[in-house]
Amino acid sequence: MSSRRSRQLSSGTSMRDDQIIQLVSKLQQLLPGTRIQRSNKASASKVLQETCTYVRSLHREIDDLSDRLSQLLSTIDADSPEASIIRSLIM
Amino acid sequence: MLNFNSIFVLLTSKFIHLLLNIPFSNTSQALMNLCQQNLNSKETIMHNSCQQLKKEFIKKWIHGLQICCSSNTKMNILERKKKIKLSADIALASAKNSTTSWSKAIISEAKNDEQNAILVENLSPESKFIRAHQKVSCHKRITSKKILKRSYGVYRKMKKMEPRRCGSSLASCIAKRLVKKRTRVLKRLVPGGEFMDEFSVIKEALDYILSLKVQVDVMKNLVNATTILS
Repeated sequence: MSSRRSRQLSSGTSMRDDQIIQLVSKLQQLLPGTRIQRSNKASASKVLQETCTYVRSLHREIDDLSDRLSQLLSTIDADSPEASIIRSLIM
Repeated sequence: MLNFNSIFVLLTSKFIHLLLNIPFSNTSQALMNLCQQNLNSKETIMHNSCQQLKKEFIKKWIHGLQICCSSNTKMNILERKKKIKLSADIALASAKNSTTSWSKAIISEAKNDEQNAILVENLSPESKFIRAHQKVSCHKRITSKKILKRSYGVYRKMKKMEPRRCGSSLASCIAKRLVKKRTRVLKRLVPGGEFMDEFSVIKEALDYILSLKVQVDVMKNLVNATTILS
């Protein structure tokens, strides 16, 4: 009984490993890389690490952009015609 | 091929009088129509879906900005920035229309805060059903995770008693451990990731990265357009 259970678990994990490898290769295509050729043998852990840093950098970029946008919106000159465009669009 | 970036700047500079005279709903419609006309017909499916997401996101985000920035004109910069970021996140999540887990997680998290209620109500009307479902399924997942952990502890003890395999699998063991470690970090980064298993986290991360790219693109365009106009 226990051997069957361990056999099931090991076969289940090997199938899952293949799926993980597939997903990881897809992830690799999304990441911005300095190398032109992506080596197929790039380890999964490296790709995951790059994914984490990329997500963090995207979060930071969104933070910066919303910062800039709020500064721009607060410093709009009230009377210019351009300000009224922005105001009609956003505010 | 005109890409979306150039279209946005082109539109805001060329059609200034159009934007001044037309009320909000027609403005966004006019923008969307013009974008549609300029899109290249030979685009790939992924590019099309990205453009679709961009359109949805822009519509909802501008709607959200109108809601939160018009109510109180004397906000300080930090408050305004938080509102802008929040409205962008919620708009992106609702543009996904509950197709992915991370978007549902963002919306349910925003709903838990009472201050954001108006924003969420207006941006994602279909999210009314998400909250109850999310709470129940989270609770179920937590209890089932506890059961799983207990049984996994037993399994580990059983495995330790088995004789060690040969050295070639040692490297694979280390690799697997590294992958698990990194997946744990990724779980913290993707919204709603703590409740998912490894496989789903990576799948969600794929979609999340694409959507984040869309969000960054649109925000960059808006910032550029605002800088040009001010």
